[in-house]
Amino acid sequence: MGNGGRFRRFHGCVMIAAFQKLQSHFVMRGINVCQLAGHNPNQVFDKNTLRRRSYSTSTFHKTAQLQPELSVDLINIMEQKLSVIENRHAYLQAIVNQVDALPEEYFTANKELKKLRHTIDVVTELRKKHKEIEGLKLLIAETQDDKDMHQMASEEMGQASEEEKHLRYLLLKSLLPKDDADERDCILEVRAGTGGQEASLFAMDIFKMYEKYSQKKGWKFDVLDVAESDLKGYKEACAAISGADVYGKLKFESGIHRVQRVPVTEKAGRVHTSAVSVVILPQADQVDVHLRNEDLKIDTYRSGGSGGQHANTTNSAVRVTHVPTGLTVAIQDERSQHQNKAKALKVLCAKLYEMERSRADASRSRLRAEQIGSGDRSERIRTYNFPQGRVTDHRVGITSHSIDGVMQGENLDTFVDALLLQQEMDAIASLTSKQ
Amino acid sequence: MKSSSFARPSLSSILQPVFSLRPKHGRPIICSTILPKPHTPIYLRPPAFQATLSELKKWHIWAKNQATSVGSTFSDLDNGPDSTLLHRELNWLVEDALEQPAILLPQNSRNNYDDATPLSIRACLDDLYKLWKQRIEERRPFQYVVGCEHWRDLILSVEEGVLIPRPETEMILDLVDNAVKGNEELKNGLWADLGTGSGALAIGVARILGLGCGRVFATDLSPIAVAVASYNVERYNLQDRIAVRLGSWFDPLKDVQGELSGFVSNPPYIPSEDINGLQAEVSKHEPRLALDGGANGMNDLIHLCNGAASMLKPGGFFAFETNGEKQSKFLVDYMHTKVKGSFYGVNIISDFAGIQRFVTGYRA
Ligand SMILES: C[S@@+](CC[C@H](N)C(=O)[O-])C[C@H]1O[C@@H](n2cnc3c(N)ncnc32)[C@H](O)[C@@H]1O
Repeated sequence: MGNGGRFRRFHGCVMIAAFQKLQSHFVMRGINVCQLAGHNPNQVFDKNTLRRRSYSTSTFHKTAQLQPELSVDLINIMEQKLSVIENRHAYLQAIVNQVDALPEEYFTANKELKKLRHTIDVVTELRKKHKEIEGLKLLIAETQDDKDMHQMASEEMGQASEEEKHLRYLLLKSLLPKDDADERDCILEVRAGTGGQEASLFAMDIFKMYEKYSQKKGWKFDVLDVAESDLKGYKEACAAISGADVYGKLKFESGIHRVQRVPVTEKAGRVHTSAVSVVILPQADQVDVHLRNEDLKIDTYRSGGSGGQHANTTNSAVRVTHVPTGLTVAIQDERSQHQNKAKALKVLCAKLYEMERSRADASRSRLRAEQIGSGDRSERIRTYNFPQGRVTDHRVGITSHSIDGVMQGENLDTFVDALLLQQEMDAIASLTSKQ
Repeated sequence: MKSSSFARPSLSSILQPVFSLRPKHGRPIICSTILPKPHTPIYLRPPAFQATLSELKKWHIWAKNQATSVGSTFSDLDNGPDSTLLHRELNWLVEDALEQPAILLPQNSRNNYDDATPLSIRACLDDLYKLWKQRIEERRPFQYVVGCEHWRDLILSVEEGVLIPRPETEMILDLVDNAVKGNEELKNGLWADLGTGSGALAIGVARILGLGCGRVFATDLSPIAVAVASYNVERYNLQDRIAVRLGSWFDPLKDVQGELSGFVSNPPYIPSEDINGLQAEVSKHEPRLALDGGANGMNDLIHLCNGAASMLKPGGFFAFETNGEKQSKFLVDYMHTKVKGSFYGVNIISDFAGIQRFVTGYRA
């Protein structure tokens, strides 16, 4: 590998730091920490091919959103893409307008058109803006003598190029590969790993952290099942989180979260290291995964004997088995069997969907592997160090020194936003490297 | 009693409350039209009582110890609940009775709430002790203790005198749902739930039929059941779509003979002599009227099967719950021989435990 990887990571941090600079707790650990993350030797970046790392807060952009300035190279690449997109659009349009188009052809063309719609709208706007700018340029040249006119034209020019910049940014975003699952709700699974009781306690803390974070975001957090450990922690816990773009926001939370602290049970006051695993799955329904009732085997608790009127039990545990794959999900915490079954199916569908996704879309996961960490669930992604009061994410090399804030769900955004940004940058990088 | 009739004018003129009690042979005759007032489940009561956190913690520890001490005695004795289950029930009692149940959860023991903090509860502390004692010492069913049963997506009020709906019975609604899907005639027709108990099936059916013209009759011979079912119907705001009637099986439905699009029933089906051997929660606390199906447990099923032929209109759907394979097969056999030609599409369906639990079919 060369400097490229290091450069990329380094700037990732700078960029995020710029974004986060209002947050006083935010501390950069510098290049060394950044280096912890894996890097991809195949992607070599020249300083100039990437964008300039400065951020303008656009005036007509009310929310103080992050809007990077794009490098000349990137703009050139996008210009080329513009024509390609326009041609493609025209071609598809022609098929759809054809009276004798085959139904199949019509269908696929129409589908792609729909996908392109947003992009083409932006392209059209951008073309318009270009024309406007050309016009203004002319006007400026012609009004050298008329001071007022000249001034007005320049002002308008300033605004138009701001708008152009914003449109370019929108275009860039719409060109970046998108995961269709991002908009979905998700299933959260937290499991205590190595470290015994302490791991269970931390599993509970992490689970609650996501619960609080969800509350803060206005998302719905439904506990699906909790397996408690002897010492008041969670061996395993599972929840369904729903709201806007939940999966897209939380997907990078999957992985091993490591904790370093003095367990409540530890008399000598020694710091222990233990770990919990977090899995975030996009939610899916039975239609998404083509789930047929015939493929399901449902077991319920039986107190022996003939059931029905014979028995009165409050045990309404349900275990659902997907026969073709052998996947099973058991839920027992709800008070009615029907609802235990509904929850079990929810989790099962999410698991099947994930299996289908990784099968059908090997390239997508390869893309992901090159990006933020390996996407591997066994990868250690974050360390919560209580004695030092800090949380470090090893993929983006960021440390928050407000561990309480993070655990309260207050400062988790530090990481969530940084990871999203990293994702965007990586996508841009692969966009440019593919040229 | 408040026997609701439907809002639909064409119907309300013909639907009269029927109070004629024609109990079956050997059953007690209750000749009162004044229905008992149903109890409010704990979770719906106002948090009108207070106890300090330390008092509640003390109760909670005592209750947990009680649950633990049961071990597997009950389950060895008569398939009753074991400690694990009792612990879970205790959590639910806390959930129902406390305004802030989370405060007693083990996860919050590390939070430093002041032990003198007064907490609002929906039953007084003494009652909490009493209730849990009843659960453990008298084997009073948990659902009677808290006054409700979570069934499908419903929370139904239950009390002594009313059968606690069973999880197996939930499936009848899936069967109804399948039958009604794509069949507008069934969906907009008149339905009946015979021996409605808490009203579970009637409410479930009404919700499946939806906001169309479909209406449901719910009948029961037990005044307590009628009172509790009416209460549950009102809680789900279905009084315009469900009429609860007191009386024996089809008796209160004479006015709609031959007009039913569908009916469901989970009648008593346990053979008389088996009842005393059932787990204490059932044999000592649930109403015999809801369980006892006569010598072979088939008395009511046969009676309903005969009635089905005259009550349903052609194409009408029925679903029965039975004791299992023997009764289901007997019933199917009966339909194919004794009431030959009255039904078609007769089917036996198993519950999740693989027991041949339900018999469904259509009126020819
Ligand atoms: C097994 S319970 C079923 C209750 C309810 N349908 C359920 O599934 O939870 C049987 C019900 O039939 C009622 N029942 C018994 N004999 C009856 C009769 N002759 N006419 C009407 N209902 C009767 C009982 O009162 C009881 O509510």
